[in-house]
Amino acid sequence: MDKTQNNKAWFLVLPVLVLVAISAVLPLMTVVNYAFNDTFGNNEFFWAGLEWFEEMVTSDRLHEALGRQILFSAIILAIEVPLGILIALNMPKSGFWASLVLILISLPLLIPFNVVGTIWQIFGRVDIGLLGHTLAAIGIDYNYTNDAIDAWITVIVMDVWHWTSLVALLAYAGLQSIPQAYYQAAKIDQATRWSVFRYIELPKMKGVLLIAILLRFMDSFMIYTEPFVVTGGGPGNSTTFLSIDLAKMATGQFDLGPAAAFSLMYFCVILLISWVFYTVMTNLDREENR
Amino acid sequence: MTASRWNTLYAALAALMAAILALLLWAVPTDADGVREWTGQLIPGFWMAWSFPVALFFFIIACLLIIFTLLAIRWPETPRVGILRIETTRGDRLFISLLGSAFICLGWLFFFGAPLTGALILCLIYVAAVFRWV
Repeated sequence: MDKTQNNKAWFLVLPVLVLVAISAVLPLMTVVNYAFNDTFGNNEFFWAGLEWFEEMVTSDRLHEALGRQILFSAIILAIEVPLGILIALNMPKSGFWASLVLILISLPLLIPFNVVGTIWQIFGRVDIGLLGHTLAAIGIDYNYTNDAIDAWITVIVMDVWHWTSLVALLAYAGLQSIPQAYYQAAKIDQATRWSVFRYIELPKMKGVLLIAILLRFMDSFMIYTEPFVVTGGGPGNSTTFLSIDLAKMATGQFDLGPAAAFSLMYFCVILLISWVFYTVMTNLDREENR
Repeated sequence: MTASRWNTLYAALAALMAAILALLLWAVPTDADGVREWTGQLIPGFWMAWSFPVALFFFIIACLLIIFTLLAIRWPETPRVGILRIETTRGDRLFISLLGSAFICLGWLFFFGAPLTGALILCLIYVAAVFRWV
């Protein structure tokens, strides 16, 4: 059947384009402008050239925040991905229990970021929090407000609590799509549990796992609300990740120029990761359709 | 569309972009001695803080987007698989070029500092390589 090509439908996208132009493109252009100028307020700007970029690209503060950010993303990926797969492997495959587990496991995903932060902020407090108080009662010296290690553990456990479900759900969806015949063939060959996982389940989950890893990486790389609510970036600067540092610089110190240069560099990194994400996904689709 | 209508479209777009460029040039402020301040504010006291270099940057990006859109409409292409082993069209290669150039410039600032002349030459080589092999 021949379809009539009608490009007029593109006009229906116009309102969205206008909205995006106002809400995203104009602010982004302004950020680029600010990155090349210096201001003392009052909308008076003085050309600074590449000064802010030079300052930011060699700034120890930014390097440290970037280091912390990469460490954080690496740790949560190393915990959430294996844990998510493990949960997915042990989830019931069908029936009442499958539905119940699915609902329970997706609950943390439905909670707004700042609420998650508040929950853990209270949960970890030594005076009134269940976790903090219990740990203190059994003699463990735990205090996330003045110990950097404790703060890191709290933030990481919180992220694992919040997001492992996403990995588990995706892995579960991947597992469900494996036809029963594969398992039957494995049984005939007397395959061990490990080889079933290694040669059947893992290759079949590759696509969804890749999406899970990239999603988790992106989200953790841009994390702001939860650690900000729990630790406020402290103690000291120990949990100050990139976006927290950026917000401190831009709205706390009102250093618009450096903050703009910083956010442009951050934006380039995010853009690169998003592009890799998009490319990998579309190429996976193409391979599957082949 | 016929060739003559394409030519009309090209002429109209070229005129539009030329007019915008002329407007930008006209808005460049002059100091008390009448010397043009190329890095001055195009609209004094405006919150978006437009200055000619940044405006020129966005102008060039806009021109590139227009050119690549026209190319894609008039001469559609089949994507090819290059050394990255992914399918790319001209638009993809433009994106890879621009983003890569941003990182080259940042790297140059980190290792060598301010004048980006060397970085720009490196970017041009990189862009040529991307369009040839990616």
